[in-house]
This record gives sequence, C-alpha cells and structure tokens, in this order.
Amino acid sequence: MNDNEKFFAWLDGELGPAEAAEMEAKIAADPQLQRLAEQHRALGAQLKGAFDPIADAPVPQHLAAAVRPSAEVIDFAAAKRARSMPSLPQWAAMAATLALGIFVGTMVPQRAVSPVEAQGGKLYAAASLDQALDTQLASAPAGSVRIGLTFRDQAGEICRSFAAESASGLACRKDGRWQVKGLFAAPEGQSSDYRMAAGMDPNLAALVDSTMAGEPFGAVEEKEAKARGWK
Amino acid sequence: MDQSSSFEEQLTALLPRLRRFAHALSRNSADADDLTQATIERALRSRDQWRPGTRLDSWAYRIMRNLWIDLARSRSRKSVHEAPEEEGLSVGEDPREAMDASVDLKRVMAAMSRLPDEQREVLALILVEGFGYREVSEMLGLPMGTVSSRLVRGRTALLAMVGEA
Repeated sequence: MNDNEKFFAWLDGELGPAEAAEMEAKIAADPQLQRLAEQHRALGAQLKGAFDPIADAPVPQHLAAAVRPSAEVIDFAAAKRARSMPSLPQWAAMAATLALGIFVGTMVPQRAVSPVEAQGGKLYAAASLDQALDTQLASAPAGSVRIGLTFRDQAGEICRSFAAESASGLACRKDGRWQVKGLFAAPEGQSSDYRMAAGMDPNLAALVDSTMAGEPFGAVEEKEAKARGWK
Repeated sequence: MDQSSSFEEQLTALLPRLRRFAHALSRNSADADDLTQATIERALRSRDQWRPGTRLDSWAYRIMRNLWIDLARSRSRKSVHEAPEEEGLSVGEDPREAMDASVDLKRVMAAMSRLPDEQREVLALILVEGFGYREVSEMLGLPMGTVSSRLVRGRTALLAMVGEA
C-alpha cells in the first residue's frame, strides 16, 4: 500500500492500530492532508446522501413479486409499502357494502338502531359499534363487538379494528366521529369465539397494515388514548 | 421448506439495498430495475449454490455485479453502432427524482456515472454499501491492492468532478 492508499484506508478505518497512529500523526502535521480528509469525508457523505434514498424508497411491486413467484395475491408487506394509497381501495369499499347487510342484520336486535350510518358518502359507526369503539378496551372485551388493534394512521388519527360475530372492520377517528374505513363479512362457519389476533380477516389485515403508521398501541397507550377522548 | 422460505425472506429484505447498488452501477433507473430483476431471478435459480451460514448479501451483490458486467459488455458491443446513452439522470419513475435532491446530490450522482466501471463498483460497494476492503476483494475476486488503488483513483476523480462548480 502506498501512502496515498494508506491515507484512504485510514479514512475508512481499514488500518491496523500501529499504522493508523502513524497516519494520524502525519495528518496532524499537515494542514493540506487535513483538508483533503475533510473533503473526502464530505464526498462520502454526499454519496451516501445521494444513493440512500433509493434504499429507503418502496421497492417496486414487480420486483418484490419476483422473489415470490407463487405468492398469495394478498401480500401484506406489499400492502405496507403501498401505504400512501390515496383512499380506501375499491375492493374494500365493495366488501364493506356487501358486509354491511350481514353486519346490520345480525348485530341489530329488533327496533334497535343500525351500528353504522352513511352520511355524505361516508360510513360512520353508530349505536352499539360507536359505543364499543368509544369505551371498550381490547383487554376488557364486553358485548357483541370486540376491539382488536388500536393505532395511529399516517394522518395521526387513532384507528381501531373491531370484530363482531358476522363481520369485522376498521374505523378511524375523523372530526370527533368513528369513520368506518372497511367492513368485511366473516367467512361462513367461523367459530363465534373469534380472536382478532389469530383470526383477523385477511382483507382487514391488509387494510390495517396499509393504514397503520408505527406500532399498535399497548394496553396502557390504549387506555390513555381513551382517557384523552381518542385524540 | 423452512429453509426455502427463509431464503426468500432474506432476499426480500435485501431488495432495497440491492436496488441501491443497481442504481449506483447503472446509468439510469430503468436499467437499474432490470438489473435488480435479473439478479433476483438468477439468485432464485442458483439458490443451491448459496451456503446457509454464509452472507447472503455478499453472494447476491456478486451475482448483481457479474450480471451487470455481462450487460455492460453486450451494451458496449452495441454502442459501436448506436448513439451513446444520455449521461446522468433519467426522468420518469426515477426514485432519485422523487427525493427532491439538491443540486449537490445530483452532481455527485452524475459524476459517479462518469467514472470507469471498475472504479464505480468499488466506490459503490465501499462508500455507499458499507462493505470492508477485504469483503469487496473477495466479492470481486480481486487482490486487496487492486481494490485499494481503484478506490483511490475513483475517489480522486470524483472529488475533482464534484469540485468543478
């Protein structure tokens, strides 16, 4: 290794302790070398700064799919990467429409009000569902609706997934109300003792995955969020 | 079967880094993603040649680099008859466009793409991908001294280009 190569090896932390000490002494005595070291450190940082955003960017779908040629249609990781999708995907809206009938049909005792209501083209939680979302903690299930995950979405709003016997879904806090982002009919013959974690509907899981920013709330966070009125 | 799923998972986890390396090697974004795709396909086909317990990243980087050399060779044969590719950055879906890069970052990328291939790959592996000299020497099948001298020449040329303002 010539001196020039040694200088760069020192810069990259590739020299052994003795050689490194020698190079350091040399650089300390030479302002020109000091300046060169600075310039090359800055250059290295610039290179990282230029190329790192590529590694931070979402991997294009066709590349991710190339690794798993036989992958399922619903790819949770891909759904997560596609987080920035502008609105509720078409299929979720359709599923919500389909599920709504079953959901309303089985959850609502006679004369009771619907647990969801449409307003201005949006679906909001009402009655028993609204109440469950407002008051119920995942750790303390009660009534016909169970709460699954609580988390914040990209906009910083609190979202909660929920399940009833015939349907499950996701609602997010918008302007002081629970807006239903997706509603999915439960598959036929599912045990009534459904568990959110184990048995989450794959469509709902994909929706949760694409909506969630960060980690789901723990029991304490969930309790605090409730105390703050889900703000 | 557990083994095979872990191979795919590891490869998936590597994709962002492999893509970054592909962008450092290639001169435009479309070529970089083609190179990434070819690397994935080759890695899946030759998965039996990867020894579990050894580093999958070095192995996959080596595949990418060799494919890129083949590609570059066939391109240079073609380029005798074709107009040279436009230098620097492409437009469209280039992630480098989307990141709202400063002029400096664009300049360093453009300068990188003007380096000779053998210097560019060494700079990319050491300065961007963070491999050590020995790892790169093993990956490229080159003596340490060659890696080290290419690194010096590449860096010096890059600084000269970026310094021109």
